Amino acid sequence: MVLAQLGGSISRALQQMSNATIIDEKVLNECLNEITRALLQADVQFKLVRDMQTNIKKIVNLDDLAAGHNKRKIIQQAIFNELCKMLDPGKPSFIPKKGKTSVVMFVGLQGSGKTTTCTKYAYYHQKKGWKPALVCADTFRAGAFDQLKQNATKAKIPFYGSYMESDPVKIAVEGVERFKKENCDLIIVDTSGRHKQEVALFEEMRQVSEATKPDLVLFVMDSSIGQAAFDQAQAFKQSVAVGAVIVTKMDGHAKGGGALSAVAATKSPVIFIGTGEHMDEFEVFDVKPFVSRLLGMGDWSGFMDKIHEVVPMDQQPELLQKLSEGNFTLRIMYEQFQNILKMGPIGQVFSMLPGFSAELMPKGREKESQAKIKRYMTMMDSMTNEELDSSNPKLMNESRIMRIARGSGRHLREVMEMLEEYKRLAKIWSKMKGLKIPKKGDMSALSRNMNAQHMSKVLPPQMLKQIGGMGGLQSLMKQMGSTKDMMGMFGGGDK
Amino acid sequence: MFQSIAGKANLEKADLEPSLKALEDRQMTKNAEEIAEKLCESVAESLEGKKLASFTSISSTVQAAIEEALVLILTPRRSIDILRDVHAAKEQRKPYVVVFVGVNGVGKSTNLAKVAYWFLQHEVNVVVAACDTFRSGAVEQLRTHARRLQVSIPIFEKGYEKDPAIVAKEAIQEATRNGSDVVLADTAGRMQDNEPLMRALSKLIYLNNPDLVLFVGEALVGNDAVDQLSKFNQKLAELSTSPNPRLVDGILLTKFDTIDDKVGAALSMVYISGAPVIFVGCGQSFTDLKKLSVKSIVKTLLK
Repeated sequence: MVLAQLGGSISRALQQMSNATIIDEKVLNECLNEITRALLQADVQFKLVRDMQTNIKKIVNLDDLAAGHNKRKIIQQAIFNELCKMLDPGKPSFIPKKGKTSVVMFVGLQGSGKTTTCTKYAYYHQKKGWKPALVCADTFRAGAFDQLKQNATKAKIPFYGSYMESDPVKIAVEGVERFKKENCDLIIVDTSGRHKQEVALFEEMRQVSEATKPDLVLFVMDSSIGQAAFDQAQAFKQSVAVGAVIVTKMDGHAKGGGALSAVAATKSPVIFIGTGEHMDEFEVFDVKPFVSRLLGMGDWSGFMDKIHEVVPMDQQPELLQKLSEGNFTLRIMYEQFQNILKMGPIGQVFSMLPGFSAELMPKGREKESQAKIKRYMTMMDSMTNEELDSSNPKLMNESRIMRIARGSGRHLREVMEMLEEYKRLAKIWSKMKGLKIPKKGDMSALSRNMNAQHMSKVLPPQMLKQIGGMGGLQSLMKQMGSTKDMMGMFGGGDK
Repeated sequence: MFQSIAGKANLEKADLEPSLKALEDRQMTKNAEEIAEKLCESVAESLEGKKLASFTSISSTVQAAIEEALVLILTPRRSIDILRDVHAAKEQRKPYVVVFVGVNGVGKSTNLAKVAYWFLQHEVNVVVAACDTFRSGAVEQLRTHARRLQVSIPIFEKGYEKDPAIVAKEAIQEATRNGSDVVLADTAGRMQDNEPLMRALSKLIYLNNPDLVLFVGEALVGNDAVDQLSKFNQKLAELSTSPNPRLVDGILLTKFDTIDDKVGAALSMVYISGAPVIFVGCGQSFTDLKKLSVKSIVKTLLK
């Protein structure tokens, strides 16, 4: 994940501070120096880092703190807040309303991913019931209109543009007019990439903006950008009313500090991030959970929301009942697989857990494992009800396996592989048999303890280490309040 | 900034420190963080214990030493004379193959067109292979460039969602048949951490054994530049099926006009990979392709 390295070094600096017995000026300075170095190495602008350092020092006035205050907590909180402040200008951006026509204009440097992001933005809103439309006002770059056209066709979004006309202002105005007539409620104008050293191009951008009167100007920014980011972003902000920022290419390994600086320069919030080259790799951005994930503090609310989103509440007790009896059937596995796929990228889900980082799951491998799950499900689709509901592994004889392989169009070997996987999972769940499943909310300390012990047996040792051993697991469960959600996750997490 | 201190005979570390620190900070603000520290260390080492020449200040001595070190880094360890290599390949009746690689949106296609124009100026005929079969509009982009160049550059394309390695192979075969001098292969942008895509690239390079693997990097990129380039090299080495994997041979630095004085990316990339900067892209038109001027970069870095 972008910024992961930065997050790591900041966490380490904080950790080191907690090793010190007394927190005095020296320890604090050391910690801050460490953090400063990390920020600079991540391309955050020199001046911003300095400001941040003075700010923290101002807040954490060690002499003024009354005895008994947890100084570490205060310092940690101050750093957390400063990072949030860097990303969050404190004012919300314009939010388009469904049914009411809004014009959104995309601007940015060359190659930052404007056209790709345009389509992602349109596609995201289309899924939520908007009627988006795309206008290609990039008349300069070769192939720009073709790119937008092909993307829009793929997503089934209406588009407007011209091969002949070379005046972007004219095209933008015509496009916006036309889609207004067609009652589209989200008109997206894509513009050419430009940079501040070309004054004429900036003037052109100002003209397009004046002619189309956009409700929102979105600045698209590449996460790998370096120290030049601040100046460029500021120049854009001065020419057009940048209202919000989208940071792209967050799937790279960029240190992302330049983008951080740019956001500070535009004084506008980041509203989305692009996390891949495909249409649906686009996420809403929220500052606090992001910083919290960055520092390895986890994002419980996001994680819980995700779980509740995928596993319907009414299904959970039933599932748990079956599981606590130790009946792990292929059908349950099928349902769990379905849940995993619904959760979306697994790496993304994992990064919401404290102690986990997205680095655990490399980008490419995740795709592979998702494809594998899909293959398994196809094979299970070729099974009879009897086979699905049985927990007797001996039921699967050669002729059944043969039939399943034929039915799903897969190799015999693959079917066997899938059954092996099932056996492995079933074994894990059989260990879970004695697990107490309390009703929501009323978990006593004792049962939590017991459950934690149970869990620690079940979890792969690496995973346990990541969480922070037994102690970590217990506090984790305390935070969650209920094991129910946990179960849903491990059914999934453990494949 | 550089205060002159007069009358010191032997330089000691303590004397050097203020000047060096100032230089280091200067470079930090210009995207050269990765190597600023190392550079200053080595300069300090080389100067320690040396005698000051008469009528020189510490700062100017330090500056001269750093300048020397920078020039040393930026001057390529191996030089690449493309035109000579093209002619050598021509004598063997083979086209000279250049593969453009890099992360997304650094300007691979745009600069490919500039390089094509550069070749045309030198009376070398060019075929473009459209091996970006993923991103929408990529093939049309090349075609539009060819049209704007107003000379007929043949574009070899097989549409989208084809295996780029095969497209490149067929393009080279065709070029050999037609007696073209140079094949420029455009590839899809890829993130340096995306293993499947890096594997595909490694396959393309292995299968076609190009004469030049040109890494296209953005001057705008900060410290990530080093990561991008070293990861590309690392992945190309790891994922290759051949015992002697091909790595990046040269660098094309793009968007050089967007960064004012923050030119450090060039320095870091060359320092890390040892590959020379062959071209520098600095504008939106076909003529905006230059050779790297080591002198002017060093000057900017020390300004």
